[in-house]
Amino acid sequence: MTALQANCPACGADVTFKSGSSVVVVCEYCKSVVARTDRALEDLGKVAEIVESGSPLDVGLAGVYRGVAFELTGRAQLEHAAGGMWDEWYAAFADGRWGWLAEAQGRFFLTYPTPSPIEVPPFDALEPGRGISGIPVAVPLVVMEKGEARMLAARGEIPYRLVPGEVYPYADLSGQGGVFGTIDYGEEPPLVYIGREITLAELGIAETARAAEHEARRVTAAQLQCPQCAGPLELRAPDKTERVTCPNCGSLLDVNQGNLRFLEALEPGKFTPTIPIGVTGEFKGGQKLTVIGFMVRSVEFEGTRYFWEEYLLYDPPVGFRWLVQSDNHWSFVEPVAPGEVTDGDKIVRFRGKSFKIFQDALARVEHVAGEFYWKVTTGELVRAADFINAPEMLSKEVSGTELIGQRKRKKHRLHQEQQQEEQNHLEAEEINWSLGTYMSRRDVERAFGITGLPVALTVAPNQPFFHSKIYGYWGLLLVITLAVGMLTIVTGARRKIFEQTFSLQLPAPSPPATPQTLLPITGANSALPNAPRSRARATPTPRTSPTPRAAATTVRESEGTQVIFTEPFEVRGRQNIRVTARSNVDNNWLFVAGDLINEETGVVQQFEIPLEYYYGVEDGESWKEGDRDKSTYLSALPGGTYTMRLEAQWEGRRAGVPRFSILLEQGVPRFLNLFLALLALSAVPVLVLIYHIMFEHRRWADSAFNPYATATEGDDSTESDE
Amino acid sequence: MLSKIYLALGVGILVLYLAATWSGWELGNARRQVLPADVRNSPGGYRSFHFWHSGYRGGK
Repeated sequence: MTALQANCPACGADVTFKSGSSVVVVCEYCKSVVARTDRALEDLGKVAEIVESGSPLDVGLAGVYRGVAFELTGRAQLEHAAGGMWDEWYAAFADGRWGWLAEAQGRFFLTYPTPSPIEVPPFDALEPGRGISGIPVAVPLVVMEKGEARMLAARGEIPYRLVPGEVYPYADLSGQGGVFGTIDYGEEPPLVYIGREITLAELGIAETARAAEHEARRVTAAQLQCPQCAGPLELRAPDKTERVTCPNCGSLLDVNQGNLRFLEALEPGKFTPTIPIGVTGEFKGGQKLTVIGFMVRSVEFEGTRYFWEEYLLYDPPVGFRWLVQSDNHWSFVEPVAPGEVTDGDKIVRFRGKSFKIFQDALARVEHVAGEFYWKVTTGELVRAADFINAPEMLSKEVSGTELIGQRKRKKHRLHQEQQQEEQNHLEAEEINWSLGTYMSRRDVERAFGITGLPVALTVAPNQPFFHSKIYGYWGLLLVITLAVGMLTIVTGARRKIFEQTFSLQLPAPSPPATPQTLLPITGANSALPNAPRSRARATPTPRTSPTPRAAATTVRESEGTQVIFTEPFEVRGRQNIRVTARSNVDNNWLFVAGDLINEETGVVQQFEIPLEYYYGVEDGESWKEGDRDKSTYLSALPGGTYTMRLEAQWEGRRAGVPRFSILLEQGVPRFLNLFLALLALSAVPVLVLIYHIMFEHRRWADSAFNPYATATEGDDSTESDE
Repeated sequence: MLSKIYLALGVGILVLYLAATWSGWELGNARRQVLPADVRNSPGGYRSFHFWHSGYRGGK
């Protein structure tokens, strides 16, 4: 750098251009802006003294950004047309570049001028929220704000021709990944600056003693006096506050560089904050934020005005945040760069998530108390659109010039047309996106160390459904159960342990009810290793007593009953048993009562299989009912040698004596248990799902974009509007 | 909270299903009993026991 020392043309004091490429320097003594030209120094006029804003930066501070050293050589303060002020710092980099470092509300944006002029749309053609083309950056840019800035104050060396009091139009641009840009329409052609939002740590100056010193200074509240009632007044964010209300008389005061001016008397006691101003709460990430402002806003929906509360939270290192309370539901709200949001009519995307539109209305400020960083007034209007993806809510606020005179009042119009028409009387100048995250009542109570917040009885737009996790568990358990079930079915043993066919005989006429033992007529069980055919019991039953049925003479003469004892066979433990009975019943029935008897332990497992098969022709139509075979499943028996007692009962008066066979299998997979397990696993999730559907209906009940509203409801509302 | 309760319940159901599958248990009300020792020791053994069944309750 080549230092140039000269005398101020206004006061003669020494002025130094330390940087070879700086254009103006502000005289430290008379605040004249001294420009160097080809021929001589030029006095561009006087600027105001820099107002201490509590910035951690200062002229002369050095840092390193992305490996390149820089020094802050100058500073300017600019006034926003809607009130408020921001700082611009000018960084001279060691590689010869100049960087513009804008500081607003605790956020920093470092931009560089584009090397060559870029053709940009005219200022009047820009619309906040809309994209802008032609600027060579990797991501699409949207217009975040358009307005006019006035040069208020400056200090140090500045790389452009700064004219005190000059007003110039500008547009701020935003893109994904923190990309930030500014178009300065004060020059012809307009100058374009592109960069990104950065942190002090990225600038390599966060740890400086200077920053710590400023930090300590700016957290100190300012003590002032109300110009209306002379009561004491405390500013908790003195360097940022534009409006404050007097806690003593309720006057709304304008704050201008530490001076208070009465604006209007607010209606006292109309709204009371649930959380008092001045209280500090601890939020996520350990952020300790103090409530410095309280605002009530409202929207009108189908003739009814709905109110909600907004608490402005502030902490110097963090900046501003909001806590919003609506119908006793709470949300913690943080600002979002407009470029990060992909805007759509009904769906917007942010950080890979889709948000559905919930409401789009004109919000009106009803009440303010405390401090605010913009020139808020009661009655202020913004167009507010909310998009939800619980527990988050993206809110878009479009503020601008009110064109009340152009508002057309029509009755009998559709609701959405009405909304659109209301929105039309705001000419957009600035668009702000914010992300609200649902907070439970208990979270808010914990944050502020309070109790007794009212319980919410409704469903908030961004209220999460806390039982959604159950669906994941449900799916996981279903998959595991199905896998186990399929594995069991595929790998089932399916062993045949007994099979035999029997031919029944009608009992002898006298004595009528004595059961008889029957010989098997086929020897299918001979295949079984432990059931040698030679041991088939051919002897008459040695029963010393008749079966209970026979003893009770319940067997009618028309019925036949016979008892059979089979040869012993082996049963394995831990394997279920399927008993299948087949018969040639023909317009008849056969009832098989069986007992599996463990010969060693005396354990008896009973089963009963009724078989019936009827058919015929009635009124020219053939019919049939019943089955000739049927199965029953038995739980596993202790392993061992078993004998089976079979008691067959059939209707004897019909022609023909039935034959029947019995088949015993083990390890037969059965779907019933699997089905019951799946059913049991699904009972709770299905109930939760029903509750969830009702929950979603309640969530959307107050939305103009209710996806559950039927066409009939829509028609009804149209008719009522008309 | 409900999710955790359901997870515990679901794991319980899964364990029950696994236990039923492993042990060969089947849903049903088929009666199981043990023959008294005196019956088993008596002449004729289980053949002398009263095996009670409900009998057929259908038919045309």
